Amino acid sequence: MADLSIAVRQAGEVAVVLPAGFINAHTVRDFEAALEGLVQGGQYRILINCRDLSYISSAGLGAIMGLIETVREHGGDILLSNLQDNVFAIFDTLGFTQLYRVFPDESQALASPEAGG
Amino acid sequence: MAAKVDHAQFRLIIPSQTRYLNLVTGLAKRASVVAGLDDATAAKVSIAVDEAVTNVILHAYGGEGHHSVELELRFTPQALEVHIWHSGQGIREDQLVLPDPSEYIKHPRKGGLGLLLMSRFMDEVRFRADEDSGRNECCLIKKIS
Repeated sequence: MADLSIAVRQAGEVAVVLPAGFINAHTVRDFEAALEGLVQGGQYRILINCRDLSYISSAGLGAIMGLIETVREHGGDILLSNLQDNVFAIFDTLGFTQLYRVFPDESQALASPEAGG
Repeated sequence: MAAKVDHAQFRLIIPSQTRYLNLVTGLAKRASVVAGLDDATAAKVSIAVDEAVTNVILHAYGGEGHHSVELELRFTPQALEVHIWHSGQGIREDQLVLPDPSEYIKHPRKGGLGLLLMSRFMDEVRFRADEDSGRNECCLIKKIS
């Protein structure tokens, strides 16, 4: 099994990104490319559903951080949902839960004002 | 007669390539559980080790994959110690500045968070240079409570 696979699907105006596996310095380029591809294509409402994400290092956080300003400048946002405990611990430890909206599940994220719901 | 050791330890040497990170973090997580740490703490130790080894590969060795990174796990009654040695560019502890998370939130940017995660998730993080061998060491310690 590959360390990381990434699926993207559209839910209304929101692009839902589903990383599965591990995001570290080895796999982050694929994750970054998926996010950059969306932004370059004019997709500024992005939900990262972390249901199948087992692990994320600071490299993965950096990929999200690198795009947040661009996305918000265009009236969009990057939302997070379904974080496993260890992934949530990383975001929370660094105070990133103040920077990003974190939802328990995808349906609640899609219904939020940030997602246009 | 073999020398008596007062703690268990073993070593792993990997090439300085990020493809081996998953192997190293998996080992660190399982070693943490063996040492007596709970699953949530074991996950944090594995992330700290990931960050430390990533720093060695990308920054100490500048991304060059033909070097080696040596890890030693030491199990003592008080703590799990992870020692990471390399021959690349060392970090001087007196020049170390941890980023301020609140500044990151105000001014999002890439990079610099690895050291912060290491310091938050471990009880001790030390850097030192061994002048005799010319190698540099990063030592991560998690106490067994």
